Amino acid sequence: MATITLRGVTKRWGQFIGVKSLDLEIADREFLVLLGPSGCGKTTTMRMVAGLETASEGDILIGGKRVNDLEPKDRDVAMVFQSYGLYPNLTVWENIRFPLKVRKVDPSTHTERVQRAVDMVELNDFVHRKPAELSGGQRQRVALARAIVREPTVFLMDEPLSNLDAKLRVSTRAQIKNLQHRLATTTIYVTHDQIEAMTLADRVVVMNAGAVQQVGTPIEIYDRPANTFVAGFIGSPAMNLLSGEISEGVFTGDKVRIEGLATNHKGPVTLGFRAEDSGISTAAGEISAQVYSLELLGDCTIVTMHAGGALLSVKAPKEFRAVIGDPVHATVSAAICHLFDATTGERIEP
Amino acid sequence: MSDTTMRQPFGLRIASVSFLIFWSFLALFPLLWIFTMSFKLPLDAFSESALDVITGPITRERRGGISILDICIAGAIFYAILKVPGLFGRRAVRFFARKRAGLAVLGVAYAAWLYVLVTGFGVTGPSVLGALFGGLLVWLFGFSGEDDDEGGLLGTLLAAVFYVLAAGAGLWFVLPPLLSAVDSAALQIPLVDYLAHPLIGATTEHYMSVWFDRGFYRNFLNTMLVTAGVTTVSLTVGTLAGYGLARSTSTVAFWLLILALVFRALPHSVLVTGYLPPFIASRDILQPLWDAPIIGSFLGLFTATPPTLYGQPVAVIAVLVSINQPFTIWMLRSFFQSIPKELDEAARVDGCSDMEAFRRVIMPVMWPGVVTTGLFSFLLAYNDYLICSLLLNSQNQTMVPSITQFFNSETTTTDQVQAVAAAVSITAPLFLLVMAFQKQIVSGLTAGAVKG
Repeated sequence: MATITLRGVTKRWGQFIGVKSLDLEIADREFLVLLGPSGCGKTTTMRMVAGLETASEGDILIGGKRVNDLEPKDRDVAMVFQSYGLYPNLTVWENIRFPLKVRKVDPSTHTERVQRAVDMVELNDFVHRKPAELSGGQRQRVALARAIVREPTVFLMDEPLSNLDAKLRVSTRAQIKNLQHRLATTTIYVTHDQIEAMTLADRVVVMNAGAVQQVGTPIEIYDRPANTFVAGFIGSPAMNLLSGEISEGVFTGDKVRIEGLATNHKGPVTLGFRAEDSGISTAAGEISAQVYSLELLGDCTIVTMHAGGALLSVKAPKEFRAVIGDPVHATVSAAICHLFDATTGERIEP
Repeated sequence: MSDTTMRQPFGLRIASVSFLIFWSFLALFPLLWIFTMSFKLPLDAFSESALDVITGPITRERRGGISILDICIAGAIFYAILKVPGLFGRRAVRFFARKRAGLAVLGVAYAAWLYVLVTGFGVTGPSVLGALFGGLLVWLFGFSGEDDDEGGLLGTLLAAVFYVLAAGAGLWFVLPPLLSAVDSAALQIPLVDYLAHPLIGATTEHYMSVWFDRGFYRNFLNTMLVTAGVTTVSLTVGTLAGYGLARSTSTVAFWLLILALVFRALPHSVLVTGYLPPFIASRDILQPLWDAPIIGSFLGLFTATPPTLYGQPVAVIAVLVSINQPFTIWMLRSFFQSIPKELDEAARVDGCSDMEAFRRVIMPVMWPGVVTTGLFSFLLAYNDYLICSLLLNSQNQTMVPSITQFFNSETTTTDQVQAVAAAVSITAPLFLLVMAFQKQIVSGLTAGAVKG
């Protein structure tokens, strides 16, 4: 049983603030993903939970116990590093066994426990090799096995997939998801890849510049982004954000006019919609502009155009044909639109 | 790197190979030459004809020599001695470390060797015996902890020392009678007897008189004491400081490193000038400590009065360490920096304290770096002339400065050949050392980033 609680956790290096007063409750057995661009404080947050960085302010609680002053070894956490952190002088078997040995776990149980971990990550053929003789994916699986062998109360994973190639990333991702489900251990996972976050997480914490932008399930974050940062970060392609004026339910901007928005808000706003919710029309639409570029993705074509002070992406059927410079119209219904405050970027509820 | 990019033009290859041959000849020639000379009587050693220096006709006539058969047998035995540790060493250490019976056998063998050493060579002082026995005890109990580190570092080290001593004793006591027995047997067989006739004149009398009559063994022991002290202190301080400085980002660390560089730049004689007066006056300087209430009675257990450090090996160790330390810190720091920080962090999350992470995770990876740095420290202490000759009195003198005792206004040719024999005696251990650690040295010198 391990819940993790962060209360007003702040990290400062001199004048620079890495993490700003972070509050977070992580439930037992939850898979929580910290998501954000590089330098947003997500890794620092995780390292503070691990004990590799000290928090400048605030309390970190694991299982209800304050751990701020505990050494990493006394926090009962296991960590998987981006660059593996395997011991190069030990074989795979000894690498996985190392935490048991250091923690003086009864030696008669070692073989059984290491074997179980090896089975889980399917490394049976490699146990006598040294890490240098393994591929990147195999190394990361050794690191995973080393983390699970001790059955810790918390898993911490620091971008474990970012050193792997695209194909291996997908299969290892599935493996991690499955492992976490079977072991039912509270997990914090750090990534800058929003697809990883969407696929793995029970809940996602989107961070930027040391502050939490939104906490929620992947669907919540996708459907109801709290601000323009989250809207622009989640989804592929990211949400289109146009600037313009709204008055009596009508949004007007450069080459854009959308009617029937259910809001009483008045004045300058940012309007957002997703490429996959909109469509292309040759006759007429809410947006009329020229084709900026075309990207064929296979199942569809993404049409980019200049309007509303930004580059917009609109999804078109894969049969859609046009050349750069052709006039096109995009249909954007009022129901799919999100409104954000023009200055603060915060979401405006209808 | 493909083969084509590294392929040399034919002319370049000829030039580089011939330069290599020329260079190794140039470097090796003096060594080989003094090695040959040291086994000859002065008449041969300083003969006008180079061929006479090599074959030594007068030495062969008066003292006998070695035959082709001798060379072959001795060569085969040396080869075996060099190869055996590589083939069986690890397995033997593991066996002795795990099995109680093996431990007992090794313990008895060690005790027997000690007995021979003490009675045979008349090494005085129960202190030596006590120290060695203490080492044996540490070794016996040092094993019982870890079950899988292939015998442990201490065990490997002691096994290596034991092997060198045993091999040395075997060569000393067994080889000469064996060779003469084989020769006399072979002389009875026609045709084969040509191989058994003395071919090259050789005598070990210069070595005998240098080592025993002139007491060179004492200089050898002093050198071992000084080098062991310097290497141990330099490496202990160097690894800890290097690790700390490599992992620290503070400006203090930076300035400490710069300060170390400044110390490294000081001329050695300047350091000696600074140290000399306090070493001479150390009895007066240390007296207050001996007069102090509790510390004094504790120190009094060792010596009644404070020691005069001048002339003692401790003084030389202190000066050589202070000369050497900046270099070891810089070198070890760069080795530590090549070890990714994730390794420390993984170890700490896996359950190690800082010190355990250093000992169990970082040091095993650092091993080649430590061996390489240790070798450089060893060489500095081993080859030092200035500081040893200035700070040591004659009975504590190390090998290199003691060569000067062979040269004075009444130097005879025998003295000169003895000096040559002493020079060869100084060089030989270096060769053994480099051969024993060649693998670690190469990997230490070429080590890049340690990939985990």
